[in-house]
Amino acid sequence: MLIEVFGPGCAKCETLLKHARHAVELAGIEAQVVKVSDYLTMAQRGVLSTPALAVNGQLKSQGKVLSSTEILEWLKG
Amino acid sequence: MVDDANSARGFFPFLKRGGWVGLALPAWVLAYLAVHPLAQWVAFRLLRLSPTSHLGEAVAFFCYDVPKVLLLLTLVVFVVTFLQTFVSPAKVRKALSRHHAGFGNALASLLGIVTPFCSCSAIPLFIGFLRAGVPLGVTFSFLVSAPMVNEVALGLLLVLFGWKIALLYAGTGVTIAFASGLILGRWKLETHLEAWVQEALNAPALAEAEEAPPSLTQRIAAAVQGVKDIVGKVWPYILAGIGVGALIHGYVPQSLMAGLLGKHAWYSVPLAVLIGVPLYSNAAGVVPIVEALLGKGAALGSSLAFMMAVIGLSLPELVILRRVLKPRLIAAFVAVVATGILLVGYLFNAIL
Repeated sequence: MLIEVFGPGCAKCETLLKHARHAVELAGIEAQVVKVSDYLTMAQRGVLSTPALAVNGQLKSQGKVLSSTEILEWLKG
Repeated sequence: MVDDANSARGFFPFLKRGGWVGLALPAWVLAYLAVHPLAQWVAFRLLRLSPTSHLGEAVAFFCYDVPKVLLLLTLVVFVVTFLQTFVSPAKVRKALSRHHAGFGNALASLLGIVTPFCSCSAIPLFIGFLRAGVPLGVTFSFLVSAPMVNEVALGLLLVLFGWKIALLYAGTGVTIAFASGLILGRWKLETHLEAWVQEALNAPALAEAEEAPPSLTQRIAAAVQGVKDIVGKVWPYILAGIGVGALIHGYVPQSLMAGLLGKHAWYSVPLAVLIGVPLYSNAAGVVPIVEALLGKGAALGSSLAFMMAVIGLSLPELVILRRVLKPRLIAAFVAVVATGILLVGYLFNAIL
């Protein structure tokens, strides 16, 4: 499983990254959590507002600092 | 939220699903009513300051304004973030990509008021809009309006000064955004975008985003989270803003303020803008300063110009935009917006 967090590096993006890592721990699954801060990639992936989160290449949320439990929902499915 | 339908029985689930927010309202009203007597008691009884002294006036203003503004801010942020769950940048982009200059600029300026916007999102948003075919001028209208007509500042002005000043602020901000975008669009400045932006505009899309609309419980949760985030982040600005406001209130003589920022001084508007641009403050922090300025006889036009310069043309924002705009385009952007702010300041000093 691949989880991507999009953001240029402001405080919100760092928080979301932390929550994503925590969610993976809670789920107890094998997953790679990466941060994408390249604007070109964000443009290609359709990211309009940061922080954004994608699971397995699919953009799930934009402009929100999700909680670990919210992210967990997508990891279980 | 799969279990919503099953857990909707009884009082406890009701509270869990956001009903406690309804119970918080009476508590809020009680707290709000207690603010004024408490502030008087602290300043004049507990600290034994004289109500006629400079220090007494400043302390009473501070003790009254801090809880009052924080309470009002909480309410405003709650309502605003709840409403914002209905508007997303993706929806705005979809609406704007269908319109051209003129109507598109007007729509962009209006939508800029309500769209949730954080300056760290400015670049993805800018590129995303252009990629979807939103014209550059229309995108600029949005980029001017979104920070300048700040929804939290608007809400605070509404509850502190009434609808006339709030409407004046929103109306002039939208007009500046509309006109700036229209003018910048006319100048055909597409070639003044940085090279990597041109590349990003033509790069093929890898996947487009789709999002499910949130449930009511999720909207309430988002609003509560918004209160935590925004109030948690801006309270130092508010304290600083009210502190400066309290000093102005207690110590700056009325004649000095009227001389510097009064409506009869020709230099008051440019002075307000010059002071405002390098200052960086959260929008909510400027409102208490404006409150004190107005109370001391500063002209409304100058005060509005000051406020717009602080939040609409901030240096950090320009540093971010510099990554996508070449120097000439960013200079044009600043010049057009600053001219708009100056005109608004002079206009209101002249007619009010």
